[in-house]
Amino acid sequence: MSAGLLLNATICFAITISSFAFAWVLARSEEEHSEKSKPTLWSLIVLWSLVGLTYLPTTIRMLAAYQGMPALDLMMYNLAAIPFSFVSVPLVFFIMYVIVGDKKISAYTSLLFVFFGVAYLTFLYTKGVIGPEVSTFSSLFVINSDIAINIYLMGLFVIPTAMIIGLLFLIFLQRMPKRLRYRTALPLVAISFVFDFMLTDMITLVDVMQLAARIFVLIGTVLAFLAYFPPLTLQEKLGIKKYSYQLCEHQEDIDYDDLEEEEIIDV
Amino acid sequence: MSEDIDVKLEQEVAVFYQSLGIHQGPGDIQYRIILRVLGRNEGRITEFAEIRKYTDPFADKGSIGSKMKTVFQLEGLAEKVKRGGYIITDKGVMASNFLKDSTTFYKKNKRMGEIIERMP
Repeated sequence: MSAGLLLNATICFAITISSFAFAWVLARSEEEHSEKSKPTLWSLIVLWSLVGLTYLPTTIRMLAAYQGMPALDLMMYNLAAIPFSFVSVPLVFFIMYVIVGDKKISAYTSLLFVFFGVAYLTFLYTKGVIGPEVSTFSSLFVINSDIAINIYLMGLFVIPTAMIIGLLFLIFLQRMPKRLRYRTALPLVAISFVFDFMLTDMITLVDVMQLAARIFVLIGTVLAFLAYFPPLTLQEKLGIKKYSYQLCEHQEDIDYDDLEEEEIIDV
Repeated sequence: MSEDIDVKLEQEVAVFYQSLGIHQGPGDIQYRIILRVLGRNEGRITEFAEIRKYTDPFADKGSIGSKMKTVFQLEGLAEKVKRGGYIITDKGVMASNFLKDSTTFYKKNKRMGEIIERMP
């Protein structure tokens, strides 16, 4: 029973709240999006909801570890594994749809990752886990199946991460307005942050590393917020502010030749 | 082997460049088609009828003939070798390559535009 575990639970709770809040804000902004971007919007909503759903039982798990309840800890670990193993599904759909633009192809590709998720869960539940090993900062489980870890690494993380990096390169190699670059690249960086540190969180055997990974997941969620709702000062600093202006309607009335002459006389 | 000319694509590309304020050269559909036909026939004589096969749906014979004279012959992109027969010059090949690059630029921008459009 240490304060470190409480800190861990607080971070998990913060991730849960911010992920759900972000998913909710995205869902509320549906009307502002075009028909073409709606499938990706919904895949993002599902993705952030799954992140929230992963960290909600994890919060309870940390509290259970703090209270010294290993049975509840194990139950919550098994529960958190379900949304966690399907996080890559909406992500793959998102990337495939953004690149290809075909709903069917994107759906079939992401379906493949549903199978990866199911396979991972099957091995995880049949072989079981070893633990919990409660320490100052965390409660750790060891996955008792090498196949599950391999599926988890290759299927659920390496391929989607490679896809994100590919899409990021595609954006960075293209010359485009700063505002668009910010709007497209930062959400990907944020997703990549969350996604990769979730992996670290789930497979690490070092308690401090788990805590650090969770802090980075939280940072990733904040980054995603900043990507969609950048504060004014950041917009001004990065030069991405969209100024509201009115068109000059009396432009035709101005005679530029006269203006030039006046300027010459003034000098 | 002769490459086929996609008039619809050329029109799309021309409209794209016009939208950027470029109304001559890459933004001129007549210029694009003429140069594409001349470029395709590099080292061979291009018959005026061959150019008209592509330009007739949207331009009259006179304006194409005028473009041949005032742009292509005047700037040395093509030379008239017989009545109704033109051959592309080295400078013309350079212009043709630039035109191909302009199509690539359009395609790249279009693809990126679509990607951005699909981003929420």
